[in-house]
Amino acid sequence: MGPSTSLKRLRDSASAHSRVPEGGTDSRRPAVQSVRAPGARPSRPPSGRARAGDPRHSAPTLNVGRVTALFCAFAVFFFTPFATAHAKMSAGFNRLLDAVVRIDVREWSIDEGARRYAASIGSGVILSGDGLILTNAHVVSPRAVEINVTLANLERVGATLVGWDHWTDLAVIRIDMEEVRRRGLVFAHARFGDSDDLFPGETVYAVGTPHGLARTVTRGIISNNRRYFEDTTGVRGYETGVFNTWLQTDAAINPGNSGGPLVLENGDVVGINSRAYVGADNLGFAIPASTARRVMADLVKDGKIVRSYIGISPAPLQDLETFYSLKQNTGVLIDNADVGSPAAKAGIRGGDILLAINGERVDGRFPELLPPIQNRIASLPVGTSVRLTIKRGEQQSDYTVVTEKLESRHGEEWVFEKWGLSVQKVSRAYAREHQFPDAAGLLVVGLQPGFSAALSGLAVNDVVTKINQQPIDTLEAAKKAYDAYVEHPGTILVEVNRNRNVTLHVFKP
Amino acid sequence: MRLPRFAARVSAFLFLFGLFLRVAAAAEPLAELWRERVKSVVAVEFYVELETERRPNITGGLVLDREGTIALGGNAIPNFLPPSQLKDFRVYRPGHPSTDYGQAEYLGYDAVTGWHYIRVDSAFRANLRPITDFVVAGAAAPVVADEVWGVGMRGKDEDFEPTFLSSRVAVLLTLPQRSAIALGRVAAPQLPVFDRTGAFAGVGLAGYGESYFQYSRTERGSPLLLVSGDEARVFRLAPEVLPYLGRVPANVYGRPAAWLGIMGVQAVPPDVAKFLNLQEQSALVVSEVLEGGAAEAAGMKERDIVVAVDGKPLPRLKPPQVAPSWLEREVALRKPGDVLALTVLRGTERIELRPRLQDEPRTLREADRQYFDRLGLTVREFVFVDVVSNRIKLAERTGVIVHYVKPNSPSAAAGLRAEDWIREIDGVEVKTFAEAAAKLIKLENDQARTEFVLLVSRSGETSVLRVKLR
Repeated sequence: MGPSTSLKRLRDSASAHSRVPEGGTDSRRPAVQSVRAPGARPSRPPSGRARAGDPRHSAPTLNVGRVTALFCAFAVFFFTPFATAHAKMSAGFNRLLDAVVRIDVREWSIDEGARRYAASIGSGVILSGDGLILTNAHVVSPRAVEINVTLANLERVGATLVGWDHWTDLAVIRIDMEEVRRRGLVFAHARFGDSDDLFPGETVYAVGTPHGLARTVTRGIISNNRRYFEDTTGVRGYETGVFNTWLQTDAAINPGNSGGPLVLENGDVVGINSRAYVGADNLGFAIPASTARRVMADLVKDGKIVRSYIGISPAPLQDLETFYSLKQNTGVLIDNADVGSPAAKAGIRGGDILLAINGERVDGRFPELLPPIQNRIASLPVGTSVRLTIKRGEQQSDYTVVTEKLESRHGEEWVFEKWGLSVQKVSRAYAREHQFPDAAGLLVVGLQPGFSAALSGLAVNDVVTKINQQPIDTLEAAKKAYDAYVEHPGTILVEVNRNRNVTLHVFKP
Repeated sequence: MRLPRFAARVSAFLFLFGLFLRVAAAAEPLAELWRERVKSVVAVEFYVELETERRPNITGGLVLDREGTIALGGNAIPNFLPPSQLKDFRVYRPGHPSTDYGQAEYLGYDAVTGWHYIRVDSAFRANLRPITDFVVAGAAAPVVADEVWGVGMRGKDEDFEPTFLSSRVAVLLTLPQRSAIALGRVAAPQLPVFDRTGAFAGVGLAGYGESYFQYSRTERGSPLLLVSGDEARVFRLAPEVLPYLGRVPANVYGRPAAWLGIMGVQAVPPDVAKFLNLQEQSALVVSEVLEGGAAEAAGMKERDIVVAVDGKPLPRLKPPQVAPSWLEREVALRKPGDVLALTVLRGTERIELRPRLQDEPRTLREADRQYFDRLGLTVREFVFVDVVSNRIKLAERTGVIVHYVKPNSPSAAAGLRAEDWIREIDGVEVKTFAEAAAKLIKLENDQARTEFVLLVSRSGETSVLRVKLR
């Protein structure tokens, strides 16, 4: 591995800690960084004068910073062997380093209309003596076919997926303890800290495997402890960030840091690093431990998290209090009530103001106040009756809404290899967004050139509605038709809805 | 005996004289024919006046009669533009000083010919000759390999100088009107094409895509499709044009307009047609049957496959994509109140339907609209296409549609977009265009107002937008 710019810079950060071995690590460069998360550009190196744990030197002015950074990159390149650290880290921090792992995942993926395999690298942190590891949902997903964990002592061991939650971008895997016992392996486990106590400016460290560089420690501060960030396709096409705010940090977070911990100087895990702005400097984001701890417990218990849905899109009330004649710090603006949702059925509509949930006042003045409110509804058991106090014009009244199970807009995917066709079940949310009358049908997401689906004129984003005159309401219906085709290949008629147009296609063997 | 001899002589003379005339006619130089026929061609300039800008347009026109009626190509004016936005039509004679022009008024659009019509002032008409002057009764339509020629035109800075173009017919196609594709360019779009004798043979339609490879010093050849916008290789044959020359719209909106009330008509590809046992004919899938339309009243269902009109199977059209416009034409040729007998395939059943065509519901071009400069938006009346595009029932129609948002205006800053459906203004429902316009005029003129709030609907989801006026 030749010394690239990014490598130099990362080493600089790593030099703060002498425990990070320089040789004998995984020198394999990450293949394609298929993990979606963190930013691509390496962060600006910290001041060369600064020592680990000394925040006084960590914020030079911009110009000084540039000069220092240049010098630093230069200096590090030539004098790395001399740039050893002097400060010792706490016992808790050292223990944390022994609990951070590199995760290599091999998973199936969809490439056009074919099923392929892809490999990626991420990070994780062991949080229990029985080998439970917390990582990002975009690092390990249910598509994983092989998960390998590299422990801090460079031993490699297999792992399996325990649970997955894209809404919070968290996943839990478990080390193969049988193998651990058989080989007599040892590892440490970290502990959660309290992310609610964090304050902007507090020193934090990110530990992980950026660009495959295992056990990289970077340092920064909490830049914002309650950042609002929502993305409808943020985790492998699935929604994320609706139910939690994020910790923002300037500790360098790069592709491969995903799933690694954000920790305090005592080694307490206060967040799980998961994303960064691509092309920006030092704008990294972590899921706070308060969320992670809860989600991890649920995932370990059930393997998944079932949430409640009522179908309102809240928006901040910022600047609209006067218009709606509201007291300060009261209410959430309802931008939209999904058509056919429990809220819409109860009579709630866009432009209403939500004042209270079950009698308890809500304040949604700013965007970052919305995820906890969303989470309050989502955390209710499915089928619960919720009393929403709504203000409409001058009128105020209560609406009772019965929650439904929350579904992702990203439907289940499948590949029909002989047709060269990959599809995604049309979800209720997708159907609603595209104003389909219902959620029947399969969305075409990939086509392999030269195969029957592509030859018949099918196109990506078509919705398959019928096969041989039989309605395709579910993925199972299509699988049945496919199996019949595989058994007796013949000509079949496929009906498609293409941007409101019905088109007919013939698949030939 | 003398008489017959005399008669024979006379007839021989007449025969020879006739022959001489014919030869003389044929021998008339093309340049002369061309000069005469250029008089049936004009250049037309007009403006499209939008909220904050005027866009000049120049197109070719074909002179139809001695009343100064001139036909413009369908592409010259987008169909959604209301006639009130088409301004200042000027008619120029090719090759004459461009300072010398006639004023014209816009007459409307006809769905059968696909043409827009204008009428030039009477003073200017004397300079023109209608294309009908060059129609030769019984002239044979061109066949493959026949020589054809036509008129092209230079730009305004060259006084719209007419140019001579000629080529041979390469292929004849039904698109769905009978059309010819020539080897090379034969006329500017909408300008006439003639045969060797100078008989009117057709009207230029459009360029025809040709694949080229573009090479450079550094790059390998990359494929490129070139289509001439100035001169056409495709032209519609005279027999498809002549019967409809009289279809000059009675009003600018082209009313009455026959309407079937279906949407998303898609041609059935040949292999699907074969699968459905529909050989040697085209077929059309109906994607949606619109509420309140003739088709719905006659019992048509979505996914019905139209296989015959008036008992006759659809002709087999190549490429299949032209089949929907064949049906559109069948509708356009009729009047509201007429019956269009359709045979449809529903599953395996063949069903006869007899929809009675209606007059088309109010269109986008007819919608009331108003621009508010300070607020930075144009709203327009909610019309039938909005019912369709918002996927609602007719009974649910209410509010107004945002037609235009001025860049960097308060409305733009609020996130308003064209096609947003305004439901409420300042928390109060607006039901009609008049209601909405009255509210917006108030806001526009109330200098004391600092903001207002809109509830809009966008692809089925509502959103509350605050428009800050200061």
